[in-house]
Amino acid sequence: MSYLLSLKELVNTLYWARDLLVEMFEKRKSFAYKYDDAAEIMGEDKLEILINKQLLRRNGPYVEIDDQFQQFFEQVLEVNEEINTSYINENIQQVKQHIVYYLQENNEHRRYSYLKQVKGALRKIGRITLRNVIDLNRNIENTFKTEPNYGIKIAKLESLDEKRRAVYNLIEQTDHLITDEELTFFTTAMDEELKQVVGLLRGQLTESRHNLIETQKQVIEYLNQVKYHSRVQEKIKQVKYLKDQFELKAKTNLAELMQQKNDVVFESRPAYPLKLSLDLLHTDEGNQSVRKVADKLKQAKRPSMAVAESIASDDLLPQTEEEIYIDLEEIRNGFTASGRHLYNYIMQYNYPREVSYEEKITIFCQMVSMYEQDFVIKEAYQDDGTVEYAVVLPR
Amino acid sequence: MNIPNRHTADIFEWLSKGKFICSNSVEDSSRKLYTVIEENFDDLYHYFMAIGFVLEKGDEYFYFSRTEARATLENKIEQAYRWIDVVDFFTAFNNGFAPGFRFTPSDIMVQVKIDASLKDKLEIMKRLTGDGSYSDRISTLVEKQLVAPGYAELENEITMQYKVLTSFNYIKQLIVSIQIQEEIVHEIPE
Repeated sequence: MSYLLSLKELVNTLYWARDLLVEMFEKRKSFAYKYDDAAEIMGEDKLEILINKQLLRRNGPYVEIDDQFQQFFEQVLEVNEEINTSYINENIQQVKQHIVYYLQENNEHRRYSYLKQVKGALRKIGRITLRNVIDLNRNIENTFKTEPNYGIKIAKLESLDEKRRAVYNLIEQTDHLITDEELTFFTTAMDEELKQVVGLLRGQLTESRHNLIETQKQVIEYLNQVKYHSRVQEKIKQVKYLKDQFELKAKTNLAELMQQKNDVVFESRPAYPLKLSLDLLHTDEGNQSVRKVADKLKQAKRPSMAVAESIASDDLLPQTEEEIYIDLEEIRNGFTASGRHLYNYIMQYNYPREVSYEEKITIFCQMVSMYEQDFVIKEAYQDDGTVEYAVVLPR
Repeated sequence: MNIPNRHTADIFEWLSKGKFICSNSVEDSSRKLYTVIEENFDDLYHYFMAIGFVLEKGDEYFYFSRTEARATLENKIEQAYRWIDVVDFFTAFNNGFAPGFRFTPSDIMVQVKIDASLKDKLEIMKRLTGDGSYSDRISTLVEKQLVAPGYAELENEITMQYKVLTSFNYIKQLIVSIQIQEEIVHEIPE
């Protein structure tokens, strides 16, 4: 039951609610419209009136345009998303019925009204068909471009393809209807206006048909693309599986395939070291470059000289170190007086400190070399068990 | 022989390092090179052929190959193995990981946190990513395996947004062209 009493009331209501309705209609797809937001625009009392008149419907914290009105707006403004083939079908049935009535009716006045209805329905069919074709195209493109889920994408495209076929059938039916099926009606009732309507309808049908052929191509291409894509995906999974099982090389033609590929991609990145041009280095430009490099090589920070610590004052004081000195001169004097041979004398000598055997040997050698003129070195040799020595006597 | 144009040196410089020149590169200069190659493909092809490089045309990208092998087979297979891991990881991160796709390392981080199998894949790739926190590893992976070889470029430094380049198709194509023995395919679990 309608809550609006007359058409005048409806038009008036739509008029004063226009701001809100326009706003809500524009946002119908983007988000649910909040009751509070609507109240901001209209005022709550007016909003309640709209809800009471069932132009709007309240849904929890949200309000939406009543479905009936929304569809009405969409249809009139030709922005509907749904492709509704049943609607055309219904119109075709209606045309058929009215044609039957027209042919059976004898009353001229009533016949005229049937004829008018047929014309209206035919006009509608043309418009709706064309509209449907355009919507179909847009939907297909949207689905292909925006639907992220591949399974759903394929299903949607296939169902749209189904719809395309249905629309195509309806076009054929309509065409059949106006050319062959109701030949009697279209010859007897043909007046100027009907001729125009049929002509227009034929034009629209042809246009729709051409569009549909294009659509069909599009759908097939899209479906192929999607399917190709999922095949690629499938392939990647399979290859990856084999790789993870370490079977890829054995069970596929990978090695063979790689053998054929000589793409540079596979090579390690080459470097091309070039020698400097000696001629260039002689020029001013070359000189500048050399300077630049030299600057770069120069170390910015010079290592500071290591400075020794200052000398402690204690270290400056004279110190005495005592060393017991073996006076070779004294040994020589003693030796000259002793009448023994040198080796024996040195070994027996009473040193001012402890002297080791090696030192004594050293002293022996030093004595011989220093005071050679004072001694007589015999050809005779003796052995003390460790070293063999010449017998040396004082002169 | 005439040098085809003044961009030849740049093209050589870029391609001889094993990189790609892509049509959807973030850099203007790189896109410019793409157009240059596209317009002078035949000339450049012959020119580079004379110095031992084959200019190859892929799906919206160019690269160099050689007439004879320079890399050892083992190296190539090893490289392919690495790519399989990398591609598998990124497609597991997002189905739509393909040229033109944009992502940030933090997107991947979020996904790694909620997806155990993705985390597992990242764990396994330690050889490529090194140790460190997950976010470090993801950054390394993106930088070393995608950006350095030229499969992706940093598009926005502030948001750290990367863009996948057309060259990514190269590795994808490579994987697709691996033929698995017929009877083996059925043994692979879904």
